[in-house]
Amino acid sequence: MISLAVVWMLQDLAQVLSMGVLLIPDFFLLTAAYGIVSGPLGKERISIWIWLSFAGGVLWDFRWTAAPGLSGLVNSLSVLAIYAVWARTPVTGRGVWLFALLAGMAHLTSGMVHYIAWATTTQTAMRMFLAQQLLGIPALALMCAVYLVRLRGSDV
Amino acid sequence: MTGKLNPVLVNALIAAFCGLMLMWFSHTFQYPARTAADTINSMLYYPELPARELRFLVQAADNWMTERKNLQERTLVLEQENIALRTALQRSGVNPPQSSPRLLGASVTLRYPDAWWKEIRVDKGSSQGVLAGAPVLSDGFMIGRVSRIGEDYAWIELVTSSTFLLAAVVVDTWDLGVINGDDIGNIWLMYMPPEEEFSEGMLVSTALVGDYLPPGIPLGLIVGPGETRDGLTPFRVASGARLAQLYNVQILLSSGEGGSS
Repeated sequence: MISLAVVWMLQDLAQVLSMGVLLIPDFFLLTAAYGIVSGPLGKERISIWIWLSFAGGVLWDFRWTAAPGLSGLVNSLSVLAIYAVWARTPVTGRGVWLFALLAGMAHLTSGMVHYIAWATTTQTAMRMFLAQQLLGIPALALMCAVYLVRLRGSDV
Repeated sequence: MTGKLNPVLVNALIAAFCGLMLMWFSHTFQYPARTAADTINSMLYYPELPARELRFLVQAADNWMTERKNLQERTLVLEQENIALRTALQRSGVNPPQSSPRLLGASVTLRYPDAWWKEIRVDKGSSQGVLAGAPVLSDGFMIGRVSRIGEDYAWIELVTSSTFLLAAVVVDTWDLGVINGDDIGNIWLMYMPPEEEFSEGMLVSTALVGDYLPPGIPLGLIVGPGETRDGLTPFRVASGARLAQLYNVQILLSSGEGGSS
């Protein structure tokens, strides 16, 4: 959970650096996705992750968007969706590819919702959205690597 | 009934509902929403400071690079223009200077009060390649020429000296005259044809008088006519340089001069 706060701050700093040039990928949501799948699926724990992702999203909205609450809404529903699929998948099927699929879909959905909320269809907005999603790929790969390392560590 | 509900689902739905309510609230009541946003921005001011400073630094570096690129492009344009002008000079039968003169910076080391408008001494001499008769410039305008040389110093006769005589040309009309000073700070363009009209602001530059002095060095701008004598009207010329205060000047050296003794 501390890591979630650290990631939020790092994402904020990265957005300050790239302000006006590009949108930073949603490292916070990817970290929340990782947090869900990397531990036990207890209901209390998952509920805490949901509220943390909601709080981070609300803070992000107040800092960077004109629609406070939107990121909180998207984050909480994304985390719920990831949990729902992950919990219903047999343990043997839970792997890095599923994690990549779920986190990637969450990131794409979050980006698309924000893009639609901008209520603008300019090429610049589209370019920023696409750049954010493309930059999200290495971020997702990094998360997958972290997940794999953790997975191997737990096997030993 | 409530016991069958998954608490994760309940929490997520409550959070989503809170998000929706927040969106509605911030849309309906903009003032408190903006206040909250301002508060959070204020709280993040110091944590974000390093990133913000780094961003300004990057922007400043980018601006510097852009300016440098613009200067390089400008230099390229000027070089091309110079080549075109040299070509035009050659076609019109005027030989452009073959040498590539360079400017030697010099500091004024002595200026006598009683010869304020006549001469100055500078800290560069024959050991730096200074030759007698070499033109001396300040702010891009010729302010005199080397009259006497020592090993490490040189005396410059100023254009405001009454003993200074130099062939000059009015650039707009190509009329020739002679530049002369009056020892009290004025520069005059002498022996101008009375039938010609010279308006204020016309550029006067050096004429082609010999190899030691390149033509086209700006001397000043015409200010107005003086008193006509013997059918000839002198014109007062204002130098572009600040002749009253000379601290640093440039001596024009021909190629191969300077740096070696």
